[in-house]
Amino acid sequence: MNLVGISINHNTSPLELREAVHLSRSDIVEFIPLLKKKYFSEGVVISTCNRTEIFGFPESSGLDPEPLMEVLMEFKSGADIKPQHIKRYFSCGAVKHLFAVASGIDSLIIGDSQILGQVKEAFEISEDLNFAGSVLRRIFDTATRVGKRAIKETTIGEGAVTVSYAAVQVVEKIFANLERKSALIIGAGETGELAAVHLHDKGIGKIAISNRSVDRAEKLAGKVHGEIVPFQLLGEHLHNYDIIISATSAEKLIVTFENVSSAMKKRRGSPVVLMDIAVPRDIDPEVKKIDNVFYHDMDSLKIIVGQNVQKRKDQIPLVEKIIMEELIGFFGWYNTLDVVPTIKTMRSFFEEIRKDELEKIRNKVSDEDYVKIEDMTRRMIGRLLHNPTVKLREFAETGANINDVTTNTMILKELFNLDHPSDNGDDTGSKINCKEELDKK
Amino acid sequence: MLQSIYLFNILLPVFYFLVFIIYGYDFYQENKTVNNSKRIILFITLLLHTFFLVSRTIEYNHPPITNKFEIFSIISFSIGFSYFVLELLTDIRGTGTFIIFFSFLFQIISSLFVEHTYIVPEVLRNRLLGLHVISALLGYSGITISAVYGLLYLLLYKNLKSNKFGLIFNRLPNLEILEKLSFYSAVIGFVLLTFAIVIGIIWLPSAFPEFSYYDPKLIGTFIVWLIYGIGIVNKFLEKLYGRKVILYSLFGFIVAIMSLIITNTLAKTFHSFY
Repeated sequence: MNLVGISINHNTSPLELREAVHLSRSDIVEFIPLLKKKYFSEGVVISTCNRTEIFGFPESSGLDPEPLMEVLMEFKSGADIKPQHIKRYFSCGAVKHLFAVASGIDSLIIGDSQILGQVKEAFEISEDLNFAGSVLRRIFDTATRVGKRAIKETTIGEGAVTVSYAAVQVVEKIFANLERKSALIIGAGETGELAAVHLHDKGIGKIAISNRSVDRAEKLAGKVHGEIVPFQLLGEHLHNYDIIISATSAEKLIVTFENVSSAMKKRRGSPVVLMDIAVPRDIDPEVKKIDNVFYHDMDSLKIIVGQNVQKRKDQIPLVEKIIMEELIGFFGWYNTLDVVPTIKTMRSFFEEIRKDELEKIRNKVSDEDYVKIEDMTRRMIGRLLHNPTVKLREFAETGANINDVTTNTMILKELFNLDHPSDNGDDTGSKINCKEELDKK
Repeated sequence: MLQSIYLFNILLPVFYFLVFIIYGYDFYQENKTVNNSKRIILFITLLLHTFFLVSRTIEYNHPPITNKFEIFSIISFSIGFSYFVLELLTDIRGTGTFIIFFSFLFQIISSLFVEHTYIVPEVLRNRLLGLHVISALLGYSGITISAVYGLLYLLLYKNLKSNKFGLIFNRLPNLEILEKLSFYSAVIGFVLLTFAIVIGIIWLPSAFPEFSYYDPKLIGTFIVWLIYGIGIVNKFLEKLYGRKVILYSLFGFIVAIMSLIITNTLAKTFHSFY
C-alpha cells in the first residue's frame, strides 16, 4: 500500500507554526485541487488548531513525501516549515497514525472528543471534491469506528482535563440539579468564557456575568443567555448565586471574606461554591473557613486535572489494542483486493475450457445427453475449484501467512498462465502484514 | 421445615457478606457487570431472608421477636430492605456497601446466638405486638440509614473543604443527593415510628395491666419521635439546610441510641420481655 501521510502537530512544532499552517475549511477546498494536480491521486487534509495532517495516495509509485511538503509550503508561503517540524508516515504506519489521531490518543488533550468529528468532516470534504476512492473510504470508515470504539469501550474521554471543566466537576459534586441553581461569572476573558459555556451546556438555571468592561460582559452574556451584574455592585449581589466563578486579571482581591460572610448570612447558610481560577487570586482564600462555603482555587483544580489526565493515559494501552484489532481487520480486507481478481480469473479460465470442450461434443451427443454433460462438468469444475478458492480467501482475510498468500497466488497464476491487471489503482501489488511490519519497527 | 430454618440461619450471613463484598468491590472498582448484578443478588438475599422469617413464624408459632437475636435478624432485614427500596426509588447504587455492612453485622450476631425455641410468653404470640415491633424496628432502621448517609455527607463535605479528590470524591454521589437520601430515610423512619407508636398506644394498655404513659421506653421513643418531627418540619419549611440538616439528623440518631441503651439496661420498664 502506498499511502503517505505527513503530520505537523503539538509534538513536532511550536504553536506559532501550527497556527501558520492551519487550514480552514475554505483553505482545504482551495488546497485539494493543488494536491490533486501536483502529487496525489486521492487524499484527505485534516487541520485543527493543534495539528495539520495530510494523507493520500501519490500519483507515482514512489513514497517520497518531499514534494508533498513543497506543495504545502507553496500554499502556506508565510509558514517557516522545516523538515524537523514534520513527521512522515508510510503505508501501515500512516494508517495506524490516522487511527491514533481519530481515537484521540495523539491529541494534546488525550481523549479529545472533538477530533473524531474533525476527521470525519475532513473526509467528507475530500469526498465532495471527488478526491477519495474506495480504499481511502474504507480507511476513514475504520478510523471512525476506532474513534467510536475508544469512546464506548474505554474511559479515554472521561473526566475533566481542563481547569474550567474541573471547576464544573467540583460543582456537580456539591449540587445535584444545576437547572435549579444560579451562577455568577466574574471576568469575561477566555477562562471565564469557557466556564460560562460549560455551565450553560450543563443546563445551569440562571447565569450572570460581571466584568469591568461592560461590552465584553454583554457579549458573553449574549452567548450564554445570561444577565449582567454591574462590577462595582458585585458585593451586594453575591448572595443571589449558588456558584461563583472568578477569572479576572485583577491584581487585588475582588471578593473579600466580609463579602462572603455577609452573603452567607443573607443566604441563611445555604451552600455556595466559590471557584477562583484567576492568577493572582480574586477571592480571599480565608472564606473556606465559613460553613457551607466551598472554595477552590487553581491549585486544587489542577489536582483534579492531573488525576484525570493520568486516568486517561492509563487507558491508552486499551485504545492501542482496539487500533491493532482494527488494523488487522482493515488489512485483512485490503489483502483480499488482489486475491479476488485472481480467483475470478481462475474461475473464468476453467469456465472457458469447460465451454470450449462442451462445444466440441455439441453435435456428437443428443440434446438430453448434452444437458446432462453440461450439468456434470459445471459441478465438477465447482468441486475442483472450491478448496483453492476458499483457502485463498481465508489466507487473505485472516491477514496471516501473507507470504503464503503471495506465493500461492503467484503459483496459481504461473500454473494456469493467468494474468490480470490489478483493479486496485492504489496498490503496489504487495500484500501487507501490518502487525509484523509495526512489530519490526 | 426445621432443616431449612437451620440451613438459612447459616446461609444468610454468608449472603449478606457476599452482597457487602460485591457492593464494596463496585465502590472501589466501578465495574459495569457488577453494577448491574449486585442489586439482583441483594434482592435474592432479601427474598431468602423473608422466607426464613416466615418459616420461623410458622414453625415456632410466634413472630420472630421473642428474643434479642431474633430481633437482630429483623433489624438486619429491615436495614437491607429499606436500603433496597431507597436504591430502587433513587437509582443511586454507589453507597450500598456502607449500609449492607450493618445488615451483615446484625445477621451474623443473630445466626451465632439465636435460640430455636417453641416456648415463649403468651403475650409475644400476639400479632399486633408483631406489627408494633416490626414497624418500630423498620423505623429505627430508617433513622440508622439516615445517620449512615449523614456520615457519608460529612465525609464528602470534609474532603471537598480540604481539597481531597480521592475515592470518596470520585465515588460518592454529590452532597445534595446524600442530604436527600439522609432526609428521605429519616422521613420513612419517622412515619414507621409513628405507626409503631399509634399501635402501641391503642394496644398496650389492654395487653399490660401495669402499663404507664410515664414508662421510660415510651418517653424515650417519644423524645426521639419529637426530635425527628421537629427536624422534618423545619426542613420542609426550609429553615434547615445542608450540613445543619445532617448534624441535626445525627443528633437525633445519637439520642435514639442513648434512649435504647438506657431503657434496655438501666431503666425499669414493663416494656421488657427478655
